[in-house]
Amino acid sequence: MTDDRTTLAMLSEQLADAAATAGAALVAVHARPRLPSTGVHWKDGVVVTTEATIRREDDIKVTLPDGRHIPATLAGRDRGTDLAVLRIASGSLPVATLGDPATLRPGHLVLALARLDAGGPRAAFGAVSATGGKWRCWKGGEIDSWLQSDLDIYPGFGGGPLVDATGRIHGVNSGGLSRALATTIPVATVNRVMTQLLERGYVARGWIGAAMQAVRLDPATQQRLKREGGLLLLSVEPDAPASRAELLVGDIVVAIDGKDVDGFDQLLDMLGGDVVGKKLKLEVVRAGQPVSVDVVIDQRPRGAR
Amino acid sequence: MTTMSAAFLSGPAERLRASVVGIANGRRGRRAAGGAAIAWSGDLFVTSAHVVTASHATIVTPDGRAVLGEVVRRDAERDIAVVRAPEAGVPAAVASDPYALRSGSLIFAVGHPFGVRDAVSVGVLQAVSPLPRGYGLNGKGSLVWVQADVRLAPGNSGGPLADAQGRVIGVAAMVVSGVALAVPAPDVERFLSGLT
Repeated sequence: MTDDRTTLAMLSEQLADAAATAGAALVAVHARPRLPSTGVHWKDGVVVTTEATIRREDDIKVTLPDGRHIPATLAGRDRGTDLAVLRIASGSLPVATLGDPATLRPGHLVLALARLDAGGPRAAFGAVSATGGKWRCWKGGEIDSWLQSDLDIYPGFGGGPLVDATGRIHGVNSGGLSRALATTIPVATVNRVMTQLLERGYVARGWIGAAMQAVRLDPATQQRLKREGGLLLLSVEPDAPASRAELLVGDIVVAIDGKDVDGFDQLLDMLGGDVVGKKLKLEVVRAGQPVSVDVVIDQRPRGAR
Repeated sequence: MTTMSAAFLSGPAERLRASVVGIANGRRGRRAAGGAAIAWSGDLFVTSAHVVTASHATIVTPDGRAVLGEVVRRDAERDIAVVRAPEAGVPAAVASDPYALRSGSLIFAVGHPFGVRDAVSVGVLQAVSPLPRGYGLNGKGSLVWVQADVRLAPGNSGGPLADAQGRVIGVAAMVVSGVALAVPAPDVERFLSGLT
């Protein structure tokens, strides 16, 4: 009985320690009416939060763990991965201790943390529900790994960290990334997007400037070219990489740089990385004949879908 | 260690459940459903004011007896009420100070969610403070609440929120923005002062 009580008390203390350790690197972000969101002091002078909680780009303030309010400036935001990055004065609070999300398995105890005011950090408790590989969320961004938990993301918890039982931060919780589920944007994605947002204020994504639809080739062409399907060009925008390369409506893209393409995921993967300004070799079926076309990938215009 | 992982909170929960009763307005039978109440000291039970709105209440003890109690003190604003039931004979719970706990500390609730007797739900403490700005509560937000990440439902009202040792840190009152709110145990002690 006594041992039972002691170990429970120890577990309780350990969870509270984890909340205190990780909570020391959290700020409340005031960038929307009424309720603040939570931000993680990811590296010195840089705070990460979720993009959807940034409703105004000027006059942003953050509340530090010691209760002080200090100004913050928006370095950049990326709707695709639901991340935003703020700059604050260097040395304002401790920097987050990051963990490796690959070490988390379903069933591991985790906390979601928030800071909403001058009080201490707030905690919600649960377990890792599922983990997995790379995925693309409905907002279009690529997330390096799937990390879902059964935590309740209370109002203001968005932008706060997922924390393990030792207080290490494994990512940023987003209430809006996959609808009803508590989903965590893992450390790798935060690092990648943060670097780009700090450098240029946005995440550059490759752009071809053509609308496409996945299609199957007709049986004769399939047999002749030893391919099953591709992406049919439905429209080509003026003054875009596709029109400059003289791609035509009706062309079917079957391969990019030697890799077969028969769906959007492959295309988005090709355009998601560091490809802006690079030349891609498109293999196209035009009027039943294979044609090779070089396209210089441009940057997706900001505000374009 | 191994004992803990399997048994988890069952020990403290069992001890606390012995001090939690069912309660309903007026003179009712032993199937009376409503909220929960906590045997606090002697023949005094603490519950939520919104659970007992009449002058008398029926208390259903853990061993299934229905006894009549008198509502001797009630504060609708703080949502707390005291019921005296000399015939109940239920052992008092142990109270503890929620201010001694930090955010993330293990807590659990005992109540009768949707009529399920003495159900246990587990979570962690969020804060002991007024509600954060933006959590709406029609002015009651300025009161200090024990705020917790734990699942409560109708029927938990008046029941305890307890620490990992099963000591009562608050009396469950309501859920706001998904957060469980309880009246802090020290407020309950103050509310009881003068009653014996």
